[in-house]
Amino acid sequence: MEFLIVSTLNGVIYGMLLFMVSAGLTLIFGMMGVLNFAHASFYMLGAYFAYTLSGLFNFWVGLIVAPLLVAIIGMFIERYMLRRVHAHGHAHELLLTFGLVFIFEELIKLFYGDFPVNYQRPDYLNFAIFNLFGTDYPFYRVFIGLVALLMFIVLFVLLTRTRVGMVVRAAERLPDTARALGHNVPMVFLGVFGAGAALAGLSGAVAGAFFPTNPNMALELGVIVFVVVVVGGLGSLAGSLIASLLIGVFSSFAVGLDWSLASLFGLIGLGDWANGLGGLVTMPLSSISATVPFLLMLIVLLVRPAGLMGSKN
Amino acid sequence: MPRWITTAAAITALGVISPAVQAEPLKIAIIESLSGPQTSTGRLIATAAEYVIDQANADGGFNGEAIQVKEYDNAGDTSGAATKFREAAADGAHVIIQGASSAIGGQVTEDVRKHNIRNPDNPIIYINVGAEAMELRGKKCHFHAFHFTTTAPYRTVPLMQVMSEQGDLGKRVYSINQNYSWGRDMETAIVDNADRFDYQVVDKVLHEVNRIQDFSPFVARIKSENPDSVITGNWSNDLLLLMKAVGDANLDITFGTIFMDQPGNVANAGNVAEGHYVAHSSNIELLDEAGTEAYRKATGHYPVFIEPTTLNGVGLFAEALKKVNFDGGDIDVNEIAKAMENTTFDNGLGGMHVRKADHQAVIPIVVSQVARDVKYPVDGTELGFKPIKTVAGEDAIYPAQDSCRMRRPE
Repeated sequence: MEFLIVSTLNGVIYGMLLFMVSAGLTLIFGMMGVLNFAHASFYMLGAYFAYTLSGLFNFWVGLIVAPLLVAIIGMFIERYMLRRVHAHGHAHELLLTFGLVFIFEELIKLFYGDFPVNYQRPDYLNFAIFNLFGTDYPFYRVFIGLVALLMFIVLFVLLTRTRVGMVVRAAERLPDTARALGHNVPMVFLGVFGAGAALAGLSGAVAGAFFPTNPNMALELGVIVFVVVVVGGLGSLAGSLIASLLIGVFSSFAVGLDWSLASLFGLIGLGDWANGLGGLVTMPLSSISATVPFLLMLIVLLVRPAGLMGSKN
Repeated sequence: MPRWITTAAAITALGVISPAVQAEPLKIAIIESLSGPQTSTGRLIATAAEYVIDQANADGGFNGEAIQVKEYDNAGDTSGAATKFREAAADGAHVIIQGASSAIGGQVTEDVRKHNIRNPDNPIIYINVGAEAMELRGKKCHFHAFHFTTTAPYRTVPLMQVMSEQGDLGKRVYSINQNYSWGRDMETAIVDNADRFDYQVVDKVLHEVNRIQDFSPFVARIKSENPDSVITGNWSNDLLLLMKAVGDANLDITFGTIFMDQPGNVANAGNVAEGHYVAHSSNIELLDEAGTEAYRKATGHYPVFIEPTTLNGVGLFAEALKKVNFDGGDIDVNEIAKAMENTTFDNGLGGMHVRKADHQAVIPIVVSQVARDVKYPVDGTELGFKPIKTVAGEDAIYPAQDSCRMRRPE
């Protein structure tokens, strides 16, 4: 019972973090069709900006201003780089953002050094919110989950229930018609890209204080964020949420379960034989827990090629 | 960008004039991860190695010329290292210094071995200052490879010994390591020493390397076994996140680590780090102040993490150079290698030398604890590494592996 509750809780919170980072990516892809490889770099920039700002002012200023700075950088990239290569198709946009990843990484090292910086949450956020089977549960983890939840609700309402959302969706679906009706489509795209970057920046500012803020943080999260978006269905916000939670919970359970292929053989009485084989057969699931998301992606792609909630199923 | 560092000006200023125009300068290639995720380690190694060479040049260089150092960026992967090795060999390098990553170390040492078989008259020496895999001293050992860093059992035995003496090891030990050669070496070392230091390995976990963002599921697993201490060879994020996750859960567990002294770790872990142990090959608290201040003056920081290891290794190499003399003629790399086998170098903690059987350096190991009352606090915190005990190299070292069959040149 303890295992079940603790693992679920850990998994859900981690899933919410993944959603927080991937929400902006989903938004940008869903509304603009741009696969932004540099998304995790925006996440890193958010963390570093928040670190600098929290040193100059305080933690909350960092949390609010850092996403805005990242949004400005994002809009600059959209206006002066992505828009120029847009006519050449998706491959060029992808390559451009791919290159930006390396540039941001080395720039961060240039300004902040090679080592993790000391970005900490304020002491008054540093307490245990409850005690679960003798283990303290840090409040900040719950805080991360709440921010992610809030992000989802705001985005969802904004896109589906407001006029702004309607214009954005119209600009994506039928850009020429939207333009004919007097909407400034390039401006809409600029805003969407900025908002997506800001979301990544916000998640960096929040998560950077919990996980180390270092020059590799974009690399570490970059791939998994793409897995989330692919599993959830490209462009589907609700799909991203479901995929994040699935990945979070599966990874969490995989660590606690020492299952291996050998134990599977054990069920049909071949356990001794399988254990004797060694190698991959006896490899416990916990050793490959970080592979679980990719396994999930493989299965989803085979069964539902457009993702769990993708529109083209 | 490669860059030849010439200190010819410094030498002239000291009044040392090259005796022969034809003298062959000694060329050193540093093939390191100077971009990409491993920069933090690679840059430190290059800095420390260049510091030693600059000093040797200030003392008159070698063979009547300034020693030339060139940096090659392997970008953190083995294929990059292989390319840069060919470049360095084409540039006429006599010595290669490398340290970040055992995988790259494996690539470089094999490249050196093959090069030396093909070019017996123009061999290259490989100075390993950071790759800790046992295999490099075992199956892959060869005469021209020198290993100045330790290995998993080399550090684990002193770590366990001191933690046990201090009463912090306890009876229930948890082993958590990264799932590749290094982590497996660590796990073996932890299991093998259970009887010697009277503990029980309650659980052992191998996890993927630097892929896991959230360690709380592992903390849940650790907690269920109720261990007294956790021994881990994890480095970088894997150590930091693990320590933070255990600290956040408020579990009273002592960590025995190998890489706690990596810059940024103590600051990020905060007070959670206090009381944990680290086994390293040097501790600045024990070193001569003049030396550490001189280093800070030249590089902007005190020697930390992998820098002392590099200073010691390249230092022994520079010491060995004093024993050979080619009178400004051609450099015989084999002579330098033989001199390295017979050199004893004082690294500030005691003498160090190279074991002939597998070219593993015999160096003392310092076991330290993160504490407040230290001379050199790290990362802008009040915490630093308080040395608890120095274990002599002979007592800590593992026996040479049978798999090492070294063929020596005549």
